[in-house]
Amino acid sequence: MARYGMALDYKNCINCKACEVACKEENGVELGAEKHRIWVGGNNPEGQWPLLDIASAAFLPSQCQHCDDAPCEEVCPTHATYYDENGVVRVNADKCILCSYCMNACPYDARYVDDRTMTVDKCTFCSDTRLARGETTTACQNTCPTKVRTFGDLDDPESEISELLRTREHFSLKSHLGTNPKLFYLT
Amino acid sequence: MSVEVSRRKFLQGSVALSVAGASAISATNLFSSEHASKHQSANGRIPSTITTKTSTKEAENVPFLCGICVNKCAGFARVEDGIITKLNPNPYFPKSRNMLCPRGNAGIQTLYDPDRLKYPMIRIGERGDGKYKRVTWDEAYEAILNGTNKFKGIKQILDEEKDNRATIGYCNGEGLSKEGFEVLVGEKIGSPNYVDEISICLETTLGGYVNTLGTYGEADLNNADYLIIAGANRAEAIITPDTMDMFKRSKGRGLKTIVLDPRFTNTSAKADRWYAVNPGTDLAFVLSLTYVVLKEELYDKDFVAEHGIGFDEYKNTILSSKYTPEWAAEITNIPAKEIYKTAREFMQARSPIYYQGRRSVFSKNDFQLRRAMATFQALSGNLDKKGGLVYGEKLALPKEDINAPIYGQAQPRFDKEGIAIPSQKTGSWIVFRNMVLEGKAPYKVRSMFMRKHNPLAGVPNTKKTVQFLKMMDLNVMIDILPSDTTMYADVVLPEASYLERTSPVSSYGATEPAIVQRKASIAPLYETKTPEVIYKELAEKLSKPLWEITKKYDEDVQDDTEGMSPKEILAYYKENGFDLTDPWEKPVEEQNKEKVVSMYGEKAWKILEERGVYYPHIEEYHKQLNPNESEYYPDNKKKYTTQNDKLKVHFTLPNLAKKGVDAVPTWHDDYKFSVPEGQFRLVTGRHAQFTQSGTTNNAMLRDLIPTNYIWINQRVADKRGIKFGDKVEVKSNIGKVEILAYPTEKIAPNQIFMLHGFGGSSEKMEMAYGMGANDALLIEDKIEPVYGAAVMHETNVEIRKV
Repeated sequence: MARYGMALDYKNCINCKACEVACKEENGVELGAEKHRIWVGGNNPEGQWPLLDIASAAFLPSQCQHCDDAPCEEVCPTHATYYDENGVVRVNADKCILCSYCMNACPYDARYVDDRTMTVDKCTFCSDTRLARGETTTACQNTCPTKVRTFGDLDDPESEISELLRTREHFSLKSHLGTNPKLFYLT
Repeated sequence: MSVEVSRRKFLQGSVALSVAGASAISATNLFSSEHASKHQSANGRIPSTITTKTSTKEAENVPFLCGICVNKCAGFARVEDGIITKLNPNPYFPKSRNMLCPRGNAGIQTLYDPDRLKYPMIRIGERGDGKYKRVTWDEAYEAILNGTNKFKGIKQILDEEKDNRATIGYCNGEGLSKEGFEVLVGEKIGSPNYVDEISICLETTLGGYVNTLGTYGEADLNNADYLIIAGANRAEAIITPDTMDMFKRSKGRGLKTIVLDPRFTNTSAKADRWYAVNPGTDLAFVLSLTYVVLKEELYDKDFVAEHGIGFDEYKNTILSSKYTPEWAAEITNIPAKEIYKTAREFMQARSPIYYQGRRSVFSKNDFQLRRAMATFQALSGNLDKKGGLVYGEKLALPKEDINAPIYGQAQPRFDKEGIAIPSQKTGSWIVFRNMVLEGKAPYKVRSMFMRKHNPLAGVPNTKKTVQFLKMMDLNVMIDILPSDTTMYADVVLPEASYLERTSPVSSYGATEPAIVQRKASIAPLYETKTPEVIYKELAEKLSKPLWEITKKYDEDVQDDTEGMSPKEILAYYKENGFDLTDPWEKPVEEQNKEKVVSMYGEKAWKILEERGVYYPHIEEYHKQLNPNESEYYPDNKKKYTTQNDKLKVHFTLPNLAKKGVDAVPTWHDDYKFSVPEGQFRLVTGRHAQFTQSGTTNNAMLRDLIPTNYIWINQRVADKRGIKFGDKVEVKSNIGKVEILAYPTEKIAPNQIFMLHGFGGSSEKMEMAYGMGANDALLIEDKIEPVYGAAVMHETNVEIRKV
């Protein structure tokens, strides 16, 4: 069993959305602007033309953080949200009753409703597609033009991601909440 | 870290997503002459949903080359039960370096687009009204040959024009099968009147660099340490491998990046410094950089002495013209001290690159701008070496001999008015079209053969293009989607998409050259055919009837064949290339194999078939370094340095002076940027999520970016009471459009910006129709004087809220 996480060299991100399209095609995600499992947060630069603050403009790719202590999992009344054997936070569509507690509980706003199944959906780290086929990358990592993403087993000290987290400074989002995300932003 | 990552906030603030939400795909498509519901399959070859979850079943992985833009990135198509469920990047291709951009990923939606052209059709209504009837392929070819009661056939036209093949014009957009179309209409049918994307795209850039350095070259961004990027927006207008290489090292990580752009783009967001240059004034910036470098003698003197031609004249001209930073500051909107700093930093850097840029001609001085950029690069000496502008090499592929006939009656091309260096091959779209329209052509142009090209969206002044197409007696279109331009075709031939065809094998030249092949992932859907099959069948249909016309009017042929028996005449017809079919005797697959095996052997062919990519020693050289990246060539085998003593830098071009072109890049006062009070300069550009007008109907991409907006300065918008999403009318001297507003501080108060490629007028592209505005309706049809290329950024507009 692995404990999968993702490191994001977010300064590489150009907000091209290749990751989002790859994710949708790989996982059959419903179309519609709000129906995405991954997205890129961004800020417009501060200031007035032509004196704009370049540093204030940044792109930050995001998605389900696959927290080790996931609030969504805690609040789910039907245990539809669960950890799979690789530590990936998953939703069992058969058990989901769309009460939306998990959506409210998620500090990262990483969940949405799939209108076709009327269940909650979110990033699965391609668990039931690529990982199930024995592949070792997610669709988003694989396709990224500027190679923002590195996916891998955090418990394997030899893995690329472990190496990156050992050698590069990084941070997690909203770490003060104690959710222990498994998405790491490299600085 | 202050970046907003919340999904909800992101959605609220996002331009692309705020107006049109989920896509409502219309259930009917009248154009296909039968009810074609969205993704419903009659034969099980089309997925039942737009996106398909990939399964854990066995799948084929077929190597392909992306055809959604010009880059030709390599990928593998995952094919499950005859349906393409996913496109993945191909790690073996050094150009695309194991990536697919959003458009590449969305290529599946081109294939399964419900609005695709599915059957051959001929026009039964009036041009532009979209009334067509479905016919068989043979009926379509027959209509091209003999016409219908609605339009004339090519046989009748050529007979009336006494075999003047120049009466046929033709055009084709960029792509792997373009050459075949040029062979068919240009060399075999014999028309000299070809126009393509070059004169509305990168002609002056290529011309400027090739005339100065001998090549356009490649920027070795992996090893450079200083970059000036102007007139290019690599975060949004993605070019491989440049985009991937550039942004991995920006933001204080090794590649100091100076961006010049009138607007603040995603590339600007990655810059160390961004200069909001006035449109059309880059030349003044480069000339003042050059002035500083020459004045302070910062340039690489050994390099210039060894490789420079005409340097003294160039130096004297620049210095005596007093192109000081103070002079340039007023013109460019870039402070003089920044210009001094940039010039000195550039020359002090180990491996500085002034990025060449690409696409369109922004202003009429574009050729001189590119010349000035190339010579400035040369002053640093950072040419033909690691970390500089490099020349690269190409792996050879055998070229086929085309047995092109000589038509005695064919007239030469005429699109030369106002152009110093008229193109022999690719012409000037604007001059060609306008001379025909204005009756200035020396003979009638009566037919347009078109393929994969949408001049109604791409060539400035759409109204004129419509008029031009309406003047024709016969318009033929080969394409995948019913574009704006297709609506003016009399005969429509539906082409297989790039995922349904094996294309002619191609060689990619660079520091890490490779040979690549696109293989058909699935058989063509509906009744579509691959371009090469269409060329072959059309050639078969036209060959003998057109030969009869040649025999009737061509005195040389008459003299040659006098007294010959029918059998001898047939031999003459074949030997002299009048048999139009011979280039397509063998299918593409067979031709590819022959070419590769003859040059590189059977093993190379096997590797190419499996991986889609081949280069000598690929098995030894290619190494996966980590989950994301590969090494393609060892560093000491890369082609950084290929020119040595051959390397020449033409600082002056005295021969061009004879044609009225400045021998040394020179600033003229009429290049100055100015906009009348109350008006705005229109600038246009591209974005990462679509490719011009060809992808606006793509369900996945349209979902990301459904429409274009007009960027208008926030303070100007406030004054005029224009808010985000308000509809505004934009009006130039030649036309007007309505478009939604995006007020922002990322643009100057006297400028506006819109993405190119939206505002499609074809109702048959149901997802694109009515979304946004077509910039070609506004952009005036001005040309630059060296090549006659379209000037894209010299149109002023008025705007008002409606």
